[in-house]
Amino acid sequence: MPEFELLRNITIGQYLPTGSVVHQLDPRVKLIVGAVLMAAVMATSSLTGVALAFIAMLAALCLARIPLRHALRGLRSAWAFFLMVAVLQLLLFPHHRAVAQGSAALCQWGPLLVSTASLRLLILLLTRLASLILLVSLLTFCTTITELAHGTEHLLSPLQRVGLPAHELALVLTLALRFLPLLAREMERIMKAQAARGADFGAHSWNFLQRTRRMFPLLIPLFLISLRRAEELIEAMEARCYMGGRGRTHLIQLRAQRADFVALGSVVIFAAFLLATNFW
Amino acid sequence: MIVPLIQVKDLHHTYLRGTPMETVSLRGVDLVIERGEIVGLIGPTGSGKSTLLQHLNGLLRRQQGEVWVEGQSLGDPRTDLRRVRQRVGLLFQNPEDQLFERYAGDDVAFGPRNLGLDRNEVRDRVRRAMEAVGLDSIAFKDRLTVTLSHGERRRLALAGVLALEPDVLALDEPTAGLDPQGREELLDYLMRWRTERGGAIVLASHTMEDLARLADRAYVLVAGRIVLEGTPRQLFSQGEELARLGLGVPVATAVMWELRERGLPVRADCLTLEEATAGIRALFHA
Repeated sequence: MPEFELLRNITIGQYLPTGSVVHQLDPRVKLIVGAVLMAAVMATSSLTGVALAFIAMLAALCLARIPLRHALRGLRSAWAFFLMVAVLQLLLFPHHRAVAQGSAALCQWGPLLVSTASLRLLILLLTRLASLILLVSLLTFCTTITELAHGTEHLLSPLQRVGLPAHELALVLTLALRFLPLLAREMERIMKAQAARGADFGAHSWNFLQRTRRMFPLLIPLFLISLRRAEELIEAMEARCYMGGRGRTHLIQLRAQRADFVALGSVVIFAAFLLATNFW
Repeated sequence: MIVPLIQVKDLHHTYLRGTPMETVSLRGVDLVIERGEIVGLIGPTGSGKSTLLQHLNGLLRRQQGEVWVEGQSLGDPRTDLRRVRQRVGLLFQNPEDQLFERYAGDDVAFGPRNLGLDRNEVRDRVRRAMEAVGLDSIAFKDRLTVTLSHGERRRLALAGVLALEPDVLALDEPTAGLDPQGREELLDYLMRWRTERGGAIVLASHTMEDLARLADRAYVLVAGRIVLEGTPRQLFSQGEELARLGLGVPVATAVMWELRERGLPVRADCLTLEEATAGIRALFHA
């Protein structure tokens, strides 16, 4: 059955204005907190650690008043990626060494051998991945693109002295994120127009060649439309005297509140705790 | 009993249902389209016109309510949707953005090829469809689509739908963004298509002039509900009601009203410039 609502499955990059405490945090703090959490989730290598991180993400989503079902839908659409990671891990896992170290084989499925050691690694990896996806979604659920760009620019501005174009980088980020849902919508429209003329997107054919061939008629108009959009955007910006970052001031001045420091502090403590679980 | 060509009953639709971004588009629409009829759908932006059109050929699945095409329910899993999409040709808004083939002829042939027709039949259909929209098939079929003018691209896109040889054309703002001459031509082709093929046309538009000229009947759609229905003459005689709904009337109608308000005895139900001119002429002769 053809399902044309592509936007339904793209949860990253969607802002959901619920007006929660998390939404009101300073975008710079959100970015730092996000980076700290991301590093901690990557670095923790105990099952307790990743489990805690996952639960913390769910709790943060609740705190931000994001419906959990909606957030988890983003995970669901990444299932193919999860599967690929799992298969690759099992294939490349050094089973001989693990077995020698006392890990028991649990089951075998073709070349895929699942042992206690590889199962542990798998759970660790997948939970970590899921936490990371939730973290990034949470950031975009609670932060408008403008805020995000604003925050990035601020954080990068010390690097301006060594020649990093902070403002331009922030702008590129904003535009890329802004265009994502637009492109999805455009793609949806093109798919529908072609389905209306008998193209068969609904049938799930596993014939790779055929499926790839069907993508071409979609990509060509999509590219043309994006190029034209980009050109229009440039003209619109130049018409309003946009000259890049030099000497540009901001309408909204960022100022950290008490809640921001509380968030920052508690996240740093939590991250330290996650790392500590490695040594238990 | 003769079944209507298309019948829609109590149709509801919600976009992104079950997500925090869900938006209700249709809230119980009933509508009937008979063979050979040109039916207008009038409504402000966001009233659900496009959503309704996309239900007529099964691109959007009904969530609640029912859509029948020639007595066949689109909700029925046994209904062959590809067959329905061939019978109800849908042309989207700004269709010229969606051409994707290098050559004009190939783009028109996309539909017939998907139908699995043989080469001669495809060639015939492409020729007929291009000629139906005034593009000389010999001169145009090997032109690069990117080199065509805006109006030509629009007509080419229409030809792409006509090549399916549908019984019903569902058109979403077909004249939006065209210059007056391009608009006139397009309307002429549509009228001619209707007379020659006896097909029905559903026309979503907020250009009142188009509807006044073309439609036999029109529905006014506001916020996902049908609020008014009738011939253009009936509808446009309720100018205050339309204004209240945020819709206008054709310029000719508005001018005649203005004249009446200033005490001149002219008809209040003129739709086209021709009628208005005739009315004003009569005034001078009297």
